This record gives sequence, structure tokens and C-alpha cells, in this order.
Amino acid sequence: MAPRKGLPVVSPAFETEALASLDSLYRAALRLTRRPADAEDLVQETYLKAFRAADQFEPGTNLRAWLFTILHNTARNRARDRARDTVAIDSEIVDRAADAPPPGGRSAGAAETPESLLLRETLAPELQAAIDALPEAFRQAVWLRDVEEFSYAEIAEMLSIPVGTVMSRISRGRHMLFDRLSHLRPVNA
Amino acid sequence: MPNCQIIDPLVTPFVDDELPDADRRLVEDHVRVCAPCHSRLVAERAVHTIIRARAETLRAPAPEPLRARCRELAARAESEAATRSPRVKTPWLGFVPRGAWTSRVGPLALAASLTIVVGSAFVIQATRRSEIVLAAELTADHMKCLAMNRVLGTHQDPAAVESSMISGFGWNMHLPEAPEREGMELVGSRPCLYGDGKIAHIMYRHEGNTVSLFMLPKTSRAQQLVRVLGHEAAIWCVGNRTFVLLAREPRREVERMASYVKASLQ
Repeated sequence: MAPRKGLPVVSPAFETEALASLDSLYRAALRLTRRPADAEDLVQETYLKAFRAADQFEPGTNLRAWLFTILHNTARNRARDRARDTVAIDSEIVDRAADAPPPGGRSAGAAETPESLLLRETLAPELQAAIDALPEAFRQAVWLRDVEEFSYAEIAEMLSIPVGTVMSRISRGRHMLFDRLSHLRPVNA
Repeated sequence: MPNCQIIDPLVTPFVDDELPDADRRLVEDHVRVCAPCHSRLVAERAVHTIIRARAETLRAPAPEPLRARCRELAARAESEAATRSPRVKTPWLGFVPRGAWTSRVGPLALAASLTIVVGSAFVIQATRRSEIVLAAELTADHMKCLAMNRVLGTHQDPAAVESSMISGFGWNMHLPEAPEREGMELVGSRPCLYGDGKIAHIMYRHEGNTVSLFMLPKTSRAQQLVRVLGHEAAIWCVGNRTFVLLAREPRREVERMASYVKASLQ
């Protein structure tokens, strides 16, 4: 798509629609950075980049997903700048974990754990804490799917990973959460 | 009855309601008789349900001052734009602009387009590993792609695949002619990320099974057949490219298909 000619690059409609995603971007940034000040920084950098590149956004496509892609790329670049290439290290660990056999042991008791019991017993703060305790890659994938309700394809683009990896990270993340939440709320509780 | 290895990659899309009906039934039938897979499904669905049920509570709003600051950024970007010449590249942005993205991977299916921008995040050194480890990694990738193609229903024609090989890998190639004579049907291509660079992945269907053909650039391997994770992998080398054809099929079938591809791939 050729950049649109003429200024301004940020139309009021684009600005309004982009800012409508602020809450969800901020929450995702909080999950990434775990510190409100860093999350605010990350969100502002994301918006500045988005507004600067507004002429490159293809109307009719998903603006929210586009903003999330910028957010995650910005977070990755920041991590790289800090000389802590957490993404690369994380990816290795993640992929080893993703290829590991599915969890047995405690999960074998899952058949006896009714979903309704977990649902009734798990409070939002506990769930939030359990999500925050997940390794970054799993946390991102589960969050983007189950809270923000993005498609596999959109998450793959945001995180720059194949769709198969998105699915395996969601799967592993959910199983880790299940183990943690079951531990907090034992079956016989 | 399919085994757990086949069902495994389908559990997550099942929970997310992303599977076609036929695959849903496959999973349902399997978990009815397989306790471990049933447990996995229940666990995953429970977490999915809890998070969805609590999503509203998890969705805390952003601080108001942040909203105001972000609104000001639009004006700042505009005033910057007024003083600069038209930009064709945004190296600071860290993402591929939509336009460039589309033109680069235009012929590819969505599935293929998703992975092309990844650079150094994957550091698996496939090119320095043994043939068995290499075959195992490629088998894992084959199985992931297989599950994904089921979800996305990938189907590309030969011209699209050849075009993606040029744009993605600088590989000016021609697919084997008339694969149907060998009982093979082209499914499509995907760029894979094992090894130092990208690895080309072309998928066929043969008698209901998916057959993967991988091309590893700048890699030399001795010709051999490797059996790993219930799959047969035929490995051969042409110039500085290594090819791996793998499928969950009898060895003689994999050998036959590999011979055909090796002889007819240009």
C-alpha cells in the first residue's frame, strides 16, 4: 500500500479508534512489564509509533491487533536494548517445554475436578496472581487469547511466532495455570 | 481410532472452538476412551472457562493521566509529520509495515505469512545437530503444521508456492510436475524457523497422510533414511541445500516419494 499523500497523517477517526484500545494495551503492557510505570512508558511509546505510522495502517484491517503487534515488538526491542535477550532465551525454554510430553501426575486428577468447582472457588485476584506468575511467553499467549480474545493468527503476528507455537504456548500456559489453581483449591476443599 | 499424538495438537483448538466438525468429532471420540487426553482437555477447558468468566474483572482500566498523555501523542506525531519528507521505511518501528508485508507474502496463505518476519528469536542450531535430532525437530514441526493446516484449511497452487520460495528464500525452483501420478497432492508452503536461517516447508497429501518436504539452505548432509517419532525421514543433499522428506508412512513409500521429488525437483 502506498503511503497516503498529504497531511495530517493522524485522522480524528484513527486517533479515536486507536485510543479505544488504551485499556487493553495497558493491561497487556502490565502483564509484560509487571510494573505500572514501565507499562505506561511502553504504552506511550506504542502510541507514538502508531501515530507516526498511521499512514501505513491499512484501513479495514484490525487496528487493535496492529497496535498490539507494535506493543509487543516495542517490548522486545526494549528487552534487547537492555542486553537481556529474554525473548531468545525464553523461546528456547518455551519450545522445549512445548515439545515435552503433556502433563500427567497431578493433571491425572483433572477428570475428578469439575470445572464448576474451580470456577466457583477461584477468585479474580488469585487468578491474576497465577497468570502473572507464568513464564512470559505462556503468559502473553494465554492473556492474548483468553482475556483479549485475539485469534491464533493475530497472536502469531503480534509475537512473531508460528501459529503452531501459539497453540502450544496457550496449551502449556493453561495447564500450568490449572496445576497452580488446583493446588490453591484442592479437589477435596 | 487415532492415537494421542494425533489428538494432542487438536486439544487447544478444540477448547477454543476453532476445529472443523470432523476434527471435533475425532477429539470427542478419542477422549471418550482415553483418560489422559480427557484429563488434559478438562484441565485446559477449565482454565479457559475461568479466565473468560473473570475477564471483565481482569480488565482493569488504564490510568486517566495516561489516556491524556496518549491523546497528546497524536498531535505530536502530526507536527513531526509536517516537517518531514514522505517515509518509505520505518526501521525504528520494529514491525513490517502492512504494505510491504502484503506484497512480500502476497501469494502465501495466511498461515505462511505469519512467520516470515521472525528473525533471531529462534536459536535452535539445527544445522549442527545430528540427523536424528534434525529429523525429530522437523517431525515436530511437521505435526504442528499438520494441525494448523487442518484449522486453516491451507491450499495453494504450485505457482503460489514457487513464488513464495523465491520471495522467502531466494530459491528459484520448480515443483515436481504431475505429482498426482505419484498419488501426491500439493497442500501449500510454510517458512519454518529451525536452524540458523529460515527453512522452507512444502506440504503434500498422500493417501490421506500429510507429507512434508523441507529445504535447509546452506546445509550439507549425507543421504540417508531416518526413523524418528513414528515418522520416516529421507534426507538428501543437492549443492548446498539439504532436503528432508518426511511422513508417517512405510519406509518404502517415503523412499519412493523422495526418489520422485529428488529426480523431478528443479
